[in-house]
Amino acid sequence: MSEFGFLIKGVTSITWQMALMWFIGGLLIWLAIKKDFEPALLLPMGFGAIIVNLPFTGVIGDTGIIQWLFEKGIAASEAFPLLLFIGIGAMIDFGPLLSNPRMLLFGGAAQFGIFFTITMAVLLGFPLKDAMSIGVIGAADGPTSILVSQQLNSAYKGAIAVAAYSYMALVPLIQPMAIKLVTTKRERMIHMPYRPDSVSKTTKILFPIIVTMIAGLIAPDSIALVGFLMFGNLIRECGKLENLSQTAQGPLANLITIMLGITIAFQMRADVFVTGGTLLVMALGLVAFIFDTIGGVLFAKLLNIFLPKDKKINPMVGGAGISAFPMSARVIQKMALKEDNQNHVLMHAVGANVAGQIGSVVAGGIILSLAQQFLA
Amino acid sequence: MLNWNLLVAFTSILGDVHSADVEKSLELMGKGMLGIFIVMLLIFLVIVILNKTTHDKNDDK
Repeated sequence: MSEFGFLIKGVTSITWQMALMWFIGGLLIWLAIKKDFEPALLLPMGFGAIIVNLPFTGVIGDTGIIQWLFEKGIAASEAFPLLLFIGIGAMIDFGPLLSNPRMLLFGGAAQFGIFFTITMAVLLGFPLKDAMSIGVIGAADGPTSILVSQQLNSAYKGAIAVAAYSYMALVPLIQPMAIKLVTTKRERMIHMPYRPDSVSKTTKILFPIIVTMIAGLIAPDSIALVGFLMFGNLIRECGKLENLSQTAQGPLANLITIMLGITIAFQMRADVFVTGGTLLVMALGLVAFIFDTIGGVLFAKLLNIFLPKDKKINPMVGGAGISAFPMSARVIQKMALKEDNQNHVLMHAVGANVAGQIGSVVAGGIILSLAQQFLA
Repeated sequence: MLNWNLLVAFTSILGDVHSADVEKSLELMGKGMLGIFIVMLLIFLVIVILNKTTHDKNDDK
């Protein structure tokens, strides 16, 4: 009978931690399929979480494909998240922001959750490098969270990636709750006329080049993030590379998304994922999203103190300054219509939301720059 | 001889929290938010200048 032991070797090697990870993997797949929560990422991550946690799995180890993908695609150069940024850049129309540039301020203010969460994480006892990585969940930007946690070599890379993508999908639930906490009904009913300036093609072409140079000169560590995002946008806006733009938005982004999702599962091995710290990371991710929204809203309220009555900003628009695009802008518009069915703030919210995409990558770069100073 | 206990502010869920780390995180918040706003303000100025200098050409039409 012992010669058939190899058939049950796997079954007898199952641990409760592995079983828990299968459950978590199944939960991610369920959320992706049944709840439509970021299915393009959560489904590959969920499936990956199952296969990396099978006993004696062949996908990790020196010859394992997922470990190889992780080492080459993420650990060596962060190639996957950065290449995804080319696709994202090609998808973004900065027009609503360029015609209404004051919305940029909200893209900065709504990064407050990142830094608030870093302090909270330190108070909970996380080492500073892990706290900084956890805070970047508040960038509401999966690739940025993955890249920063990888570069800072956080012990919670898997949990951070799961939290970043899960909460992005939960923006329609998190943001209304956070906004209602800090606004009155009257504030939510503020109307904002939309009179956009026309934007020239020259501006649209020069914008990604100049932003890359500014970000690179002030926060050199942001250059990979901002540069690849803006490179994708330049391909889109130049007007001569329609095929490349379509490829970046479609096949490139899709291929990288498939690879990224299943590769991140390498960080979801039971031995590194099943810890008390993971639960705290998930909780802190929620704090980051809530305080991002609150930061943006309170900044709008602060500006309103100085603005004339007819130019007041609906504070909800400030909450759209996060990177979850276009979901956050849609949530704000839905809330505005709920308070007053004639209140159309969508284009302002889209401007703030696009600014949030720039703000989040700049924030990621600034965290990496500051890490050199604070973790030295 | 340093008294290392003085550096421990309190014990939290995951272990000792050092007052130096708390101070660093607050400094990080100040510098980080300032850095983001500086970059965003510069980008804002760039957009305003680009819109002013290229507006008349209206070459998007």
